[in-house]
Amino acid sequence: MKKRKEQRELSSVMTRRMLMIGAGQFVLGAGLVGRLYQLQIAQSDDYQELSDRNQFDQRLVLAPRGRLLDSRGRLLAGNSEVFELMLLPSRVKNVDLWLRRVQRFIDLRPNDIRRIKQKISKQPDFLEVTVKSNLTQRELARLAILSPVLEGASFQKSFRRIYPQGWMTAHITGYVSPANKRDVEKNPKLRYLPGSRIGRSGIEQTLDKELGGTLGVERVEVNARGKPVRVLEDRPAVSGEDINLTIDIELQSFAAERLRRGKSETVQLATSDVQKALLNDAELRAHVTTGDTLVLRDEKGRLIPPESGAVTVMDVETGEIKAMVSTPGFDPNLFTGRLSVRDWRRMNEHPRTPLLNRATSGLYAPGSTFKMAVVAAALEANVISTSSKIECEGSFEFGNRTFHCWNEDGHGFVDAFSSLERSCDIYYYQIALKTGINKINDMARRMGLGEVTGVGIPAERSGIIPNRDWKLENRGVPWTPGETVVAGIGQGFVLTTPLQLAVMTARIANGRYAVEPRLYKGQSEGDGFAPLNINSSILSVLKRGMRQVMNGPLGTARYHDLPEFGGIAGKTGTVQVKRITKEQRELGIIDNIDRPWKERDHALFVAYAPVDKPKYAISVIVEHGGSGSSMAAPIAHDILEYMFKSDQRQAV
Amino acid sequence: MNRFIAWLFRIPWVLILSTFFLVFVGALALFSASEGSWSPWAERQLLRASIGALLLVFIAVIPVRWLYDWSYLGLVLAILFLGLLQFLGFGAGATRWIAVGPFNFQPSEPAKLAVVLALARYFASVTPEQMQSLVTYLPALGLILVPFSLVIIQPDLGTSMMLLVGSLSVVFAAGVPRRFLAVGLVLAASAIPVLWMQLYDYQKARIMTFLDPGSDALGAGYQIAQSKIALGSGGIFGKGFLQGSQSQLNYLPEKQTDFVFTMIGEEFGFVGNVVILFVYSLILLSVLITALRCQNKFSRLICIGVSMMIFLYMFVNVGMVTGLLPVVGAPLPLISYGGTAMLTVFLGLGMVVNSAVNSKVSDTELLK
Repeated sequence: MKKRKEQRELSSVMTRRMLMIGAGQFVLGAGLVGRLYQLQIAQSDDYQELSDRNQFDQRLVLAPRGRLLDSRGRLLAGNSEVFELMLLPSRVKNVDLWLRRVQRFIDLRPNDIRRIKQKISKQPDFLEVTVKSNLTQRELARLAILSPVLEGASFQKSFRRIYPQGWMTAHITGYVSPANKRDVEKNPKLRYLPGSRIGRSGIEQTLDKELGGTLGVERVEVNARGKPVRVLEDRPAVSGEDINLTIDIELQSFAAERLRRGKSETVQLATSDVQKALLNDAELRAHVTTGDTLVLRDEKGRLIPPESGAVTVMDVETGEIKAMVSTPGFDPNLFTGRLSVRDWRRMNEHPRTPLLNRATSGLYAPGSTFKMAVVAAALEANVISTSSKIECEGSFEFGNRTFHCWNEDGHGFVDAFSSLERSCDIYYYQIALKTGINKINDMARRMGLGEVTGVGIPAERSGIIPNRDWKLENRGVPWTPGETVVAGIGQGFVLTTPLQLAVMTARIANGRYAVEPRLYKGQSEGDGFAPLNINSSILSVLKRGMRQVMNGPLGTARYHDLPEFGGIAGKTGTVQVKRITKEQRELGIIDNIDRPWKERDHALFVAYAPVDKPKYAISVIVEHGGSGSSMAAPIAHDILEYMFKSDQRQAV
Repeated sequence: MNRFIAWLFRIPWVLILSTFFLVFVGALALFSASEGSWSPWAERQLLRASIGALLLVFIAVIPVRWLYDWSYLGLVLAILFLGLLQFLGFGAGATRWIAVGPFNFQPSEPAKLAVVLALARYFASVTPEQMQSLVTYLPALGLILVPFSLVIIQPDLGTSMMLLVGSLSVVFAAGVPRRFLAVGLVLAASAIPVLWMQLYDYQKARIMTFLDPGSDALGAGYQIAQSKIALGSGGIFGKGFLQGSQSQLNYLPEKQTDFVFTMIGEEFGFVGNVVILFVYSLILLSVLITALRCQNKFSRLICIGVSMMIFLYMFVNVGMVTGLLPVVGAPLPLISYGGTAMLTVFLGLGMVVNSAVNSKVSDTELLK
């Protein structure tokens, strides 16, 4: 009985104590609410001010952007240190007076002044405004003397992005430009960093994060007049990663100059006939006003701008892009500051679209360079054998249309090898029909056509390799056999990029795996390439045919082989830009050189070398260059020769 | 069927809903801490919370007798892990973490719960007469002091203090006679100078910094100053989700872990912070009611222990970020990024739910 009572007593002691604990928790918790009231309501205004002041007392330090280097460590994009004059509006009573004072020492245009005042009115007054970036030594010295009496002025070290190779690598490096409104919305930190730059195209855009580095924080102790007294580094800025590109700048510049020259001779800009031509020829003028000094004289004696087009050279084993040229180029240095309206218009209104990276985003019908894919598809589908011959009489009737061979006299009996060697169109019209578009599509895709290669350049395009479903989806009507005939010679719907053509050639040369292009060290390292899945006996037919193009008695590029370095295997392509009508054909086709530039054929050439142990694959396209054999093949020959010679020099 | 419905009614739903509310708030805060991204913190935190929820359900449905039987084993395991730390642990300046597979695990967190469980079992079997004898408390002190000393030598002053206060509350709730309490208080007061001598320099510095925050502008004082600025500038309604300049500009350190309450305060203001404190009080109230309803001492003491554990986490954390307490490194339960503390809280809440559904079990039933 006593025990029971004791039990009950203990139980009520426990209940009391638990309630005490609960009450204690409640009191302490109420204390926390009181503290929050004190901080967030009673003293909120003070803390609000401290928070605002934080943002300028403690300022973010820009990290130097990582550099872009070529395969041998040469600078393609770097930084130079510059000083900026900053204005802190909260320290300046009369901005107009302040600006007028400063104007005596530095050059400020009405435009700049309008921009500065607009900025001041738009943001809180504890945020600094850039008055002038990129101060000269002279300006800096004069302002430094003035600064003790110029309240609210400060100098900030900043970086200016420089591209020492200029237009030569512009399409690869891309460019950076100041953050715009949309960037600030995405990343509010940028608002406090007037010097920050954002990658807009090329590798600068793709690897913007890696190149950007990490912001630092420093605190500036200011005295009552707003002068910095001492800088405390809370967290140092960590500069961005340096990126090693696979490009060889020597090769890149050789290839660019070689492509631009085409088969014309260079002339002096300062002569009177050139000056006269500049007055009359808008296209030539557009070209020269972008700062380029190269003017050419073609075989008819006319003055012309440099050729536009693209060259891509890649390693057939590793996929490394050794050179990727697109002409005309543009100067990426123009974008790093504030791009002037004049410069922007010059680039935008240039008739040959210098901002377009032709290698990755230019779409061209591959023409006869597509024939490797067609013959491979036909062999795989077993609709032909290597020995089956087709007779070419110069034209081919199908349905109610006549399809012509480029050689109107015909090639006679042609097999797989000689069809490549002589680029007979009739052979391809017929085997394409037998194979069918879907199988050609399948083969072309395995070779890397019709798909984005993922080389690392933004806005890369996939091109078009059509099949039946594609036509129905995109055009709303079924595929017709006549379209298969045209696709057999790489025209009609078929569109590829120059880079894809280089990839296709590299895969044929490699034979084992589906090599993909790589533009920088560390790009998807580790995962090897997928197997190619094309029968080696088929590939050897292609290789022999491509070899005969260069060394066969009737090969379309027989004058451009490179026997001293193991020979080239290649394929020419000449792509009609304007349809030839029946009447024109009867009147006799006008030579390319006599047509307006825009109506001339595109000149293409793809190749790999050396023949027995392929090392490099190349694709060359010269817009409206005339013909693959006379324009594109010699360019590829010279570039490959240059590469092998420089490899030889390095080996010694 | 009727029994099942009765069982459902015994579950403290307020506690469970409040828990999920806090987890949800935590995920949003972590989303904001990584500048509006689910990775790296928010998604992992939600994954951990799901594991925690499973753990809670498991603990809640097992018979209370199992908890009773496992309680000493739990403490032995906790002591074992704390001992192992001395050999295998790592951590910045202190050995607090142990790697278990891909996870880093902080044994001192579940140790708090293990001590509560062991004490609850110990006092459950003590008779009212024995409560009057000083000898009864010696084993209990042993249960507390062994893990306490292992945590304090890590060294982790904050956690060891929370362990001590939490477990002493259990002893207090168990019904220690008042005269022993008085003796205990005198002893504790006289131990303070001795403890101070034993503290590491950085611990002394933290306490000194707390007493005079201006003295150390870039260290702990800096953190508190920035935290107060962030909280204060949030005002009544805050600067808005993802808009906290202190947090988003990185002035605020450790915003995903210990200072998450500050970030919530900057972005959602006084209102946001008070809502969170209110939800904690709902949980604590629900635990207290469960404790009062339970008919066996074991469950009652567990509830008090868990309630103190959650309260101390919350109080120390909020006290720390508002500058009321020194910076000791305590997470905000269920909200701060961090796995061990979160799982420990889920485990503790599981025990409370278990107590609630077994509230009718009496001492004699449990002990037989």
